[in-house]
Amino acid sequence: MVEKQLSDMKTGEKTNTDRGPVLLTTLLPGERAKIVALGAGSGRQRHFRTMGLKEGKIVEIRATQPARGPLVIDVEGTLIAIGRGMARQILIQKI
Amino acid sequence: MKKITLMGCPNVGKSVVFSRLTGVNVISSNYPGTTVDFIKGTTFIGGEKFELIDVPGTYSLEPTSKAEAVAQTMLHEGDIVITVVDATHLERNLYLTLEILETKKPAVIALNLWDETRHLGIEIDVAKLERVLGVPIVPTCAICGTGIKELASAVGDAHPSKTLKQMSEEERWLKVGEIIQDVQVVHHRHHTMWERLADTTVRPTTGIPLAILVILLMFLFIIEVGNVLIYYLMDPLFYAYYGPLIVGAVNSFVSSGLLHDLLVGTSTIESLDFEQSLGLLTTGLYVPFGVVLPFVITFYFMLSILEDTGYLPRLAVLVDTGLHKLGLHGSAIVPTILGCGCNVPGALATRILETEKQRFIAMTLMAIAIPCMAQSAMIFAILGRYGMKWILIVYSTLLVLYISLGLLLKRIVKGESPELLLEVPPYRKPDPRTLLKKTWSKAYGFLAEAVPFVILGIFIVNLLSVSGMIDILSRIFSPILTTVLGLPEGAIVALILGILRKDIAIGMLLPLGMTPQQLTISCIILTTYFPCIAAFVVLFRELGSLAMLKAVGLMAVVSLSVGIIMRVIVIGI
Repeated sequence: MVEKQLSDMKTGEKTNTDRGPVLLTTLLPGERAKIVALGAGSGRQRHFRTMGLKEGKIVEIRATQPARGPLVIDVEGTLIAIGRGMARQILIQKI
Repeated sequence: MKKITLMGCPNVGKSVVFSRLTGVNVISSNYPGTTVDFIKGTTFIGGEKFELIDVPGTYSLEPTSKAEAVAQTMLHEGDIVITVVDATHLERNLYLTLEILETKKPAVIALNLWDETRHLGIEIDVAKLERVLGVPIVPTCAICGTGIKELASAVGDAHPSKTLKQMSEEERWLKVGEIIQDVQVVHHRHHTMWERLADTTVRPTTGIPLAILVILLMFLFIIEVGNVLIYYLMDPLFYAYYGPLIVGAVNSFVSSGLLHDLLVGTSTIESLDFEQSLGLLTTGLYVPFGVVLPFVITFYFMLSILEDTGYLPRLAVLVDTGLHKLGLHGSAIVPTILGCGCNVPGALATRILETEKQRFIAMTLMAIAIPCMAQSAMIFAILGRYGMKWILIVYSTLLVLYISLGLLLKRIVKGESPELLLEVPPYRKPDPRTLLKKTWSKAYGFLAEAVPFVILGIFIVNLLSVSGMIDILSRIFSPILTTVLGLPEGAIVALILGILRKDIAIGMLLPLGMTPQQLTISCIILTTYFPCIAAFVVLFRELGSLAMLKAVGLMAVVSLSVGIIMRVIVIGI
């Protein structure tokens, strides 16, 4: 199910709807969202979770770098810098 | 002697706890990955002597970098584990804590940063957490020292967890959620004005100009304050007090001959010469103390501020896109900046990078294009007298080299260059006493390393000169040096000494009476052609023999070609 959603996302279809899950990279600075799924391999998933990027957590974009540079996100008070490719492995729902 | 290991996530304050328990000052900073290797010390707890091991931080026992792999190995070495947990990020820290407790090692938990939980609106029921985890828990504030005594006495009660059993990864995450539900209440709070203001340092529109300003100010501070220290402190000390004293003392003991020349060289009381006399007690001490030390002090003072405020990870975010083009990522800025002080800790700090490709590129670029502070100090001192222009030529050439070699290596080195995933810690106000302590310990480390090697270097020069070896070597290498690079053949002495140490090697250029053009080319070649012996040993250990061989080959090729190109540009054909 998650994989299906993720592959939908990757094809670029229906990325910025208000309801359904979208990629973390579609979030704009200042917007808040809830993490709904992690789409990476199990090792990367563990790494994400141990850094606080876990399903159910609220994230907010604090800064984005130009030229497809990393995002700086706030996960419940912790700032994390994450490359865009990795950010695409995190599925969120806007709130 | 029983071994205690200090384990925990990155940047939770393990090294501060270590310093508190052992009294040994280990370097701690405000960024994840300050400790990349284990550090040992001893401590007495309840009359018993323990060996305490400070271990690099890791998010889990499945390592993602070489520094984390060190942590995993060290856990098994210890008899007792002190798990240091960041109380302000309990949930994240619990996964590793559970993994450690499941190994059934006798354990104690230090709930560190306890003082910060209150104003962050976090309430933790310590008694309940203790029951759930089944090991003693002590709230601590390592920076202020609260709870450290209690932690030490709790080590006596360390025992394997009575409540936890081996879990699968999924069960462990469920358990983490369960525990958090049970023991922690977080009161919602809004971002403070300071946090919003701090965001300007990671937003590109404001962050990049700020970063340029910060680096420029640092550079100016290092050079200007360094020069003030030399002019008003070191030079008067050497020329008014130390010089007459030492030359007088040596003269009354041996007034001429080989031994006299070895000790004070060509210096006389009437004309003191610390730069070119090449005596063990004149140039041998003036170079490390009189020229390099002032810049080492100003550099490490500035670096400590960068480290302890938490600015470095933010700089890493800003330079990430650029460094990706060189096959690295933002975190590589940390080893690079440390390398500007000394390539040895710089090379070790590359352990925070995830892949061999990144580490090879970072170390090779550092060895070729990042001059250490000792070398920079000598470049400032020797080229500075001909004007800023020549210093700028040297550093711009090195920058162009760094970038172009990075672009090349990214393409030809096999392997992965993963993206950045880095925790950005909150800004902290640096403690002035810690800053001074850190600066002092780095300056002391520099002197302990530099003085013996500089003196050995000068001894070798005297040996080469007395035995006539210099003339033979000069003749052998003269075709390359004179014909190809346009340098005097005596420059071979500098190249030989450069393998030992770079500062004294650059000092060897002075007696040759070079033009500023020749000095500029020599400084560039001395930076690029080979690392000093200390850096070489560490690079060899970190890279392995094959990769080191490749790096050395690259250095030779790059150095010679850059030397020729610069000759054509600044001298002409």
